[in-house]
Amino acid sequence: MPLRPALAAVALAVVASAASADQPVEQVIDREIDAALAAAGVEPAPPADDATLIRRLTLDLVGRIPTLGEVERYVGSADPGKRAELVDRLLASHGYARHQAAQFEAMFNPDGDRRGGNLREYLVGAVADNRGWDRVFRDLLLPDHAEPPVKGAADFLRPRAADADRLTNDVGVAFFGVNVSCAQCHDHPHVKDWTQAHFYGMKAFLARTYEAGGVVAERGYGVVKYKPTKGPERAAKPMFLAGGPLDDPSAREATKDEEKAEKAAAEEAKKTKTAPPRPTVSARAKLVEVALQDGNADYLARSIVNRLWHRFFGLGLVTPLDQMHAENPPSHPELLAWLARDTAAHGYDLKRLVRGLVLSEAYSRSSRYGTEAAPDPRLFAVARLKPLTPMQLAASLKVAGTDPAEWEKGKPEEFEKRIEQAEGAARGFAGLLAQPNDNFQVGVGEALLFSNGERVTKEFLTDGGGSLLGRVNGAEDPAKAVELLVKVAYGRPPTDAERRALVEYVEARKDRPAEAYRQVLWALVTGPEFRFNY
Amino acid sequence: MRSHCCGSAAHAVSRRAFLGASAALAADMTGLDVLGTPALAGELKKGQKRVILLWLAGGASQLETWDPKPGAITGGPFAAIPTDVPGLHISELMPEMAKRMKTTCVIRGLNTKNGDHGAAARIMMRGRRDEAGLRYPDLGAVVAREMGRADSPVPDYVTFYTQTEGRNMAPGDAGFLGARYGPMELTTSSTPEHIRRPAGLSDEDHLARADLRDLLGKDFSRGRSSDALASQGEAYGRVRGLMASESLFDSSKEPQKVRDRYGPTQLGRQCLQARRLVEAGVPFVRVARAWWDSHGQNFETHQEMVPELDRVMAALIDDLGERGLRDDVLVLTLAEFGRTPAINASLGRDHFASAWSMTMTGCGAKGGAVYGKTDAKGNTVTHEEVNAANLFATIYAALGINPHKNYYVGSRPVPLVDPGAEPVTAVLG
Repeated sequence: MPLRPALAAVALAVVASAASADQPVEQVIDREIDAALAAAGVEPAPPADDATLIRRLTLDLVGRIPTLGEVERYVGSADPGKRAELVDRLLASHGYARHQAAQFEAMFNPDGDRRGGNLREYLVGAVADNRGWDRVFRDLLLPDHAEPPVKGAADFLRPRAADADRLTNDVGVAFFGVNVSCAQCHDHPHVKDWTQAHFYGMKAFLARTYEAGGVVAERGYGVVKYKPTKGPERAAKPMFLAGGPLDDPSAREATKDEEKAEKAAAEEAKKTKTAPPRPTVSARAKLVEVALQDGNADYLARSIVNRLWHRFFGLGLVTPLDQMHAENPPSHPELLAWLARDTAAHGYDLKRLVRGLVLSEAYSRSSRYGTEAAPDPRLFAVARLKPLTPMQLAASLKVAGTDPAEWEKGKPEEFEKRIEQAEGAARGFAGLLAQPNDNFQVGVGEALLFSNGERVTKEFLTDGGGSLLGRVNGAEDPAKAVELLVKVAYGRPPTDAERRALVEYVEARKDRPAEAYRQVLWALVTGPEFRFNY
Repeated sequence: MRSHCCGSAAHAVSRRAFLGASAALAADMTGLDVLGTPALAGELKKGQKRVILLWLAGGASQLETWDPKPGAITGGPFAAIPTDVPGLHISELMPEMAKRMKTTCVIRGLNTKNGDHGAAARIMMRGRRDEAGLRYPDLGAVVAREMGRADSPVPDYVTFYTQTEGRNMAPGDAGFLGARYGPMELTTSSTPEHIRRPAGLSDEDHLARADLRDLLGKDFSRGRSSDALASQGEAYGRVRGLMASESLFDSSKEPQKVRDRYGPTQLGRQCLQARRLVEAGVPFVRVARAWWDSHGQNFETHQEMVPELDRVMAALIDDLGERGLRDDVLVLTLAEFGRTPAINASLGRDHFASAWSMTMTGCGAKGGAVYGKTDAKGNTVTHEEVNAANLFATIYAALGINPHKNYYVGSRPVPLVDPGAEPVTAVLG
């Protein structure tokens, strides 16, 4: 769309005013996104229809597709406030805590290795209580400071405690959106913010952390030395990213007595399974203190905003997520700054932020773009396809395999319990699938698993009591049966062409109707319309 | 401290040039896939290079194979025998390979610096050390990506690892390239998982069901473009071809004469399967044989295992030669490390990464070449030392892959081998 100059001027004025007042998050998002679209002369995709939107919201917020009942009630409602009501219902459900915790766990352990211990349990509790992100940061970095200790909080540090380089890198990536590992060996070639002094400055806060008998502990002394690319070896001063170096009187080597005492304390810890006493000077506590100071706290706020934006929009305002630095500007600098400020000003309330993200018009656009050339994804003109995570896919398969009438039985509070049971039953299968990343490609292993694996049939395509296939098997009219299958899997009725093809498929297999319906459901749930959040 | 991190070679390039280069590689940056290149349907691409890696898990002894030191205090009981290459001697445990060294080059000066099974196996599968925050792809995944085709009817990367010892320390791993290039792993069974049609589903229905899936997806894909979406269609599109490739895993389809040549052992059978796979176009096959970790009774272990390797490797080289595949298939013997020259109190040899050997046969590797020299006792490399990065640069060069090519992880260029590492041209034909 060619942009008229007058409109451009209006758009810029909106940008300028957006940053100041305390406004609803979703309004600011839309003003900023729309202003950039107008400036680029790009027409956004139309809003997604109701059935698509409830599927997207349910997958994004609670990690499964909606039941047919949920879809029909939402689509059938004429209430203008129905979207906000749906969002608030999902945000308040325990499914929100479970799914967001799983997302945070994947963020902390992106390789999907099972080093998590009880970290998920901690995260579920933290999301359920809507603990501020600054508090989560403090809990995870100082698990031994909480009284009483919070279960699972130590399981971020524990698996990393033996490798200070890795711990330094992971803390930078997970909390500050900064990957300083490149600066381990040399100053970063393109990024003046990232020098060796930054990497080793961060490491100086973390290198005293160690594991003693399965418990995270910390020394009260220690020096981090490094060899710069030029010149003699140096001792690193603790330094938080862009902040200046700090003086640290405790930066010294251990004495013989201290080494002995440490060994004894570690032995004791192994026996009693309790942490050795905390040092009077804790470098890690200093890191938490400095990171949350004015001027530095922006890193934490900007990174979590960018992470959550990425989670719901499929692409960060800054991309990649661990490259937040001056040479890699955000697509919408004012918006990121506003959201970070707003989130920090509201006690790092992530639920408030998430609510704003998903109530925005930018979030709720169609994922289909009419013309051949799709616009630059960084304009957020069209919704992005997001591959389902292993748990989203497995839990959704459980929902799709269940007779939708089953979910309507019993009291509303029992619904949540049954969903949780279904998720529990899906967890094993989820372990067979790959965690998507930004360059995700479906591998042949997944296609073979779904095409030939016995588990898919046995766990999701059964036709026993309470199953969807059990219900359609007795149907007189194949047209009605396939209609129900499509509605449950996709949340919409079949198109005429689909109905014809599916009925024809079933009628050609009159001698084995149960098999025919099973195959139809297989074709539905292996299709892209099921595999992706669109 | 880690020796190398990211692309220092790229650092020398100015920012402007860097941006230009990355723009040219835009297809790589967005896709990390082969989707951008038009699919070469039908015939196997002429001259497509393939690799069979014989992984000697646990660490075979260089002194009982490629670099014997007879008479030295560290030499052990076995003699060295002359080969068809004048001046080149190898262990008497390898009489068959001694007749075929004109086909093979030996690198005797490996110094790879890490003697821990897990860490060393990762280094020798990837050509580099791990880095915090970045998982590198292994050799198989890189070859799968460089040589595999989007519509290939055969797997891209197959790994056989039947014994349990060391299996978890050297898993195939596509690292940042993602599951798309991960290996099809055969551990307990000699055919891959999920390659057979499920019981109770007719072939006709299996096909029709897949067609129905395509039909339902077609409308969804209209007006939507995404690499992940395309990859799902491709993955399902390959299912039937992969199922048809099951017979490639069946070595009983080979004439008895060929099977006899490889011998009755599991290693022999799997190498024959590997030959069938590469012949059909599978870019990378690893056959692991464990467990060479002879801390005790080193000589008995090698007396049993080396002749088996000798026979199977000779059979494989002959077979590839007779089929006209020698120029296209690179056969490697490699392990996580070698073994100490010093013989311990249990008559064993321990982990040793400072002066050990590997071999390359076929493709661009120069037959009969010997590169590197160790001292009289085998303790150190005295000439022509090769580290893991040099070795991988050499392997990539032999395959016609530019070792300095960059992959992009986000915007960060990651070269295939550590910056500054050059191939050993002396062993390339």
